[in-house]
Amino acid sequence: MGTNNTTIDYKKERSAYYKVLIGLLLLTAVTFIQPHLFMTESTFVAQMAIAVVKAWLIIMYYMHLKGDSLIGVMGIFSLVIVATFFIIVIGFDVANFQYGAESHITGPASAGVEHATPVHH
Amino acid sequence: MSHEYIPEIATSRDGTKYEVQGWQDDFYGGKLGFWLFMFTEVLMFGAMFMVLAYYNTLHPHEFLEASASLNRLLGGINTVILLVSALTMGLSLLKMRVGDVKGAKLMIYATMLLALAFLVIKGFEWRAEYNHGIFLMHGEMLPESGMAFGKKLFFGMYFTMTGIHGFHIIIGIGLMIWLLKRINAGKVSPEHHILHWNIALYWDIVHLIWVFVFPYYYMIGAGGVTGGH
Repeated sequence: MGTNNTTIDYKKERSAYYKVLIGLLLLTAVTFIQPHLFMTESTFVAQMAIAVVKAWLIIMYYMHLKGDSLIGVMGIFSLVIVATFFIIVIGFDVANFQYGAESHITGPASAGVEHATPVHH
Repeated sequence: MSHEYIPEIATSRDGTKYEVQGWQDDFYGGKLGFWLFMFTEVLMFGAMFMVLAYYNTLHPHEFLEASASLNRLLGGINTVILLVSALTMGLSLLKMRVGDVKGAKLMIYATMLLALAFLVIKGFEWRAEYNHGIFLMHGEMLPESGMAFGKKLFFGMYFTMTGIHGFHIIIGIGLMIWLLKRINAGKVSPEHHILHWNIALYWDIVHLIWVFVFPYYYMIGAGGVTGGH
């Protein structure tokens, strides 16, 4: 088992935990009221933006990444890899998908709810 | 002490003895290794989110309709439960680090209770969905049923991802039981707490995944079928 020999300011760290908790609770409340209050035409974008802020708080304070540059760089590197594949898949592949008529998952893509059953061949 | 380090001795041909470098007290190495494991978790769930986004671009209206049909109250309660459990787990680690072992154990028990509450609520939610004919390879989800295809994809991913997430919660409870046993055995202590640190990190990543799972499944349809895209 390893040791962590840094000095600990208990009250300060506990206070940080509670402050982050309040922040996360407020953001959760915003998650619920957002579809009825602001960015109502872009709920998906707004929800994901709130989630990113919550994730940042958790990673920095609950996961103690604040001030840990090595793991931080590794994390950014991993996210860049995932984001790159995400952009390739969604931005290029899906945007230029040529086999909608043959595909079982894309059959009804050209229509909305009324043409919702897959096309079987 | 049960975790006392006994160095390994290597002897050369001429009989000289050398102490082999040990890494038993490498706190940062232990933490770094666990972060590497957590990146694999991010990649796994990241791939599932990519699939979800892919299907979402193909069937946007059906995704919104399906999302609107989920129980946001139960999902929201579970969100708050996980949020508070992340606090109790963090406080348990903090108490361990300052030497309050009893307090640390109490906070771990609190985290386990919250984790169980999450699973029970999730169970109720799944049961209600099952009773409405919505479950993997059941009722409305069967290929021959009349449910819109995009909804089948949505619910298929919903049960898969929340199921895998729930499995991580169960693993987390198991890890906390193991942690308590190690604390009771004196193998995790204020001086040697990397196991506690890493299990707290695990619990945070479980929470972190839910931070994205919840809005993607429960909230994108909250504003109606025109609100999400």
